[in-house]
Amino acid sequence: MTQTPIISIRNVTKRFGSFTALEDISIDIRPGEIFALLGPSGCGKSTLLRIIAGFETPTEGDILIDGKDMTEVPPNKRPVNMVFQSYAVFPHMSVADNVAYGLKMDKLPAAEIKTKVAEALKQVHLSEFSHRMPDQLSGGQRQRVALARALVKRPRVLLLDEPLSALDAKLRDAMRLELVKLQQTVGVSFIMVTHDQSEALAMADRIAVLDQGRLRQLADPVTLYRKPADAFVADFIGRVNLFEVTAHEPGSTTATVASLGEIALAAAAAYPEGEALVLAVRPEHIRLTAGEGPGVPATLGDVAFQGDSSIVEVTLADGRSVQVLEDAAESARLMQLDPGAIVTLEIDWTKAAILRRSAL
Amino acid sequence: MARRRRQRPGPFDYSRKLSLQMVFVLATIFLYAPIIVLIIFSFNDSRRGGNVIWRGFTTDYYVKAANNASLIEAFTNSLTIAVISTIFSVILGAITAVVLWRWRFPLKPGFEGLVALPIVIPEICLGVAVAVFFSYFGLYVPPGTPWPFNLTNIIIAHITFSFPFAAMVIRTRLQSFNREMEEAAKDLGATEFQVFRDVILPHLKPGLIAGGLLAFTLSLDDFVITFFTSGPDTVTFPVKVYSMVRFSVTPEINAASTVLILITLVLTAIAMRYQSFGDDRQ
Repeated sequence: MTQTPIISIRNVTKRFGSFTALEDISIDIRPGEIFALLGPSGCGKSTLLRIIAGFETPTEGDILIDGKDMTEVPPNKRPVNMVFQSYAVFPHMSVADNVAYGLKMDKLPAAEIKTKVAEALKQVHLSEFSHRMPDQLSGGQRQRVALARALVKRPRVLLLDEPLSALDAKLRDAMRLELVKLQQTVGVSFIMVTHDQSEALAMADRIAVLDQGRLRQLADPVTLYRKPADAFVADFIGRVNLFEVTAHEPGSTTATVASLGEIALAAAAAYPEGEALVLAVRPEHIRLTAGEGPGVPATLGDVAFQGDSSIVEVTLADGRSVQVLEDAAESARLMQLDPGAIVTLEIDWTKAAILRRSAL
Repeated sequence: MARRRRQRPGPFDYSRKLSLQMVFVLATIFLYAPIIVLIIFSFNDSRRGGNVIWRGFTTDYYVKAANNASLIEAFTNSLTIAVISTIFSVILGAITAVVLWRWRFPLKPGFEGLVALPIVIPEICLGVAVAVFFSYFGLYVPPGTPWPFNLTNIIIAHITFSFPFAAMVIRTRLQSFNREMEEAAKDLGATEFQVFRDVILPHLKPGLIAGGLLAFTLSLDDFVITFFTSGPDTVTFPVKVYSMVRFSVTPEINAASTVLILITLVLTAIAMRYQSFGDDRQ
């Protein structure tokens, strides 16, 4: 899998005054992939996208597109195009004029512009809307205008800044699939910025998790979910219960974990003593049984019904709450019980992971 | 059948409160009655002296006003000054607004204050200042200069006080500009100039029209500053009306004023129509 990267982000650091927005980021984007920059707001993901587009210059480091240094190249001369968060569709131009704008800037002959615009509008299912003005379009349609406007330029990479955040929930799910399909048809690499982990997991081939300007982990969605690099990534991707490991030592087969006490945890022995560790247990790796039994005792809390499954909240003896995922049948049984009823947690220890508090 | 309970009117629900309806009617009367009276008495067939008693309908005074060469000259002067000073005010105002919106530079707050100064300074002071300035530096256009260059002093004075208003209006419009629009254009390959021409200017259009209209009306009816800068062969309409009124208020003045009101109304209507077209209703 050693394809030549289409975009190389090399040791990019960006500072705004004394604030460091990005610190020493190196990422290679492969041809034809959907790459997600994921992180909480203020993590620097949008800044990185703007650096690739050329709206910001890195304080240190370089951006290479197709092997050529683009660090000093202005945005209007870069072979990448962007779909903005607000879509930024020009309100005084018709749909067709919006899509044609970039081609006009390239001074293409009018006939060629016309065929290319028609083709791009067909691709995003807006052919009948070519003469409409943007204020006559819905949010989803406006987004597709922005997509067509950027894709018609045949960019090497399409940059998408929070592409789905301005849409309502139902449309968002539909657009996820549509964007992936569109990417497969045009074959252009997509780099998308998002704060929504489910969006990144559903759409991206690879995900870079950023926090406070640093790259926490770069992996495919499955690896990210199954083998998070540290507690931050585990917590950010999907639901997880984190228990602090309060004492462990090399060579020992047990460790002391907050709320759970001393348990058999050979994995912790691999880390040097004093290293801050956490035990991460996904809600789907815990089973709940009514009454007392072998396992961790707890009391039943709220059951959040989700249709095919439920998220059940239970409280441990020391007051800590734990999330458990149960299927429909089991949650129906649990909902029969009174809140506060005694239950027992069975943790699937083979799936529980020992993680460093921070991989940095 | 249950009777629909009427909701109590809200505090400013003027359509349902008699007291507020009265305020509305009175305010409207006070605002518009003088103008309506002015228009009505422009058709008054009064012989001479005070134009206060209705003596029958006539359009003679419109004809008389149209044949009054000095009145027509003043009228033409006013319109010429207004048109030229509006063009300059809008251009200067737009440049000022864009500079203040776009760039940061040292002493920017001070500069912003300076720009707004002509708005807050009493007109009489500005009038004296402009007159003193022109005479001190010997900048008065010599008498006998051919039309319209003899109006240069008045035009400069009008630009001085009307361009800050245009700048204010245009700047307010710029505030609602989405910077991503500019970046999107750049991203699609536009240069700085193309971004300005294709994206910023169309967004500014309603502001330019509104600012221009403001500058135009300000220039058209300015008396104080014009009075200090006009000479005997550069009389404007307001100055002319003032000198005519000093003898007697004849329906002729009413007729000329009515025409002026009509011109202003038509221009405003056109501007508002353009504004609603240019506005993006997103």
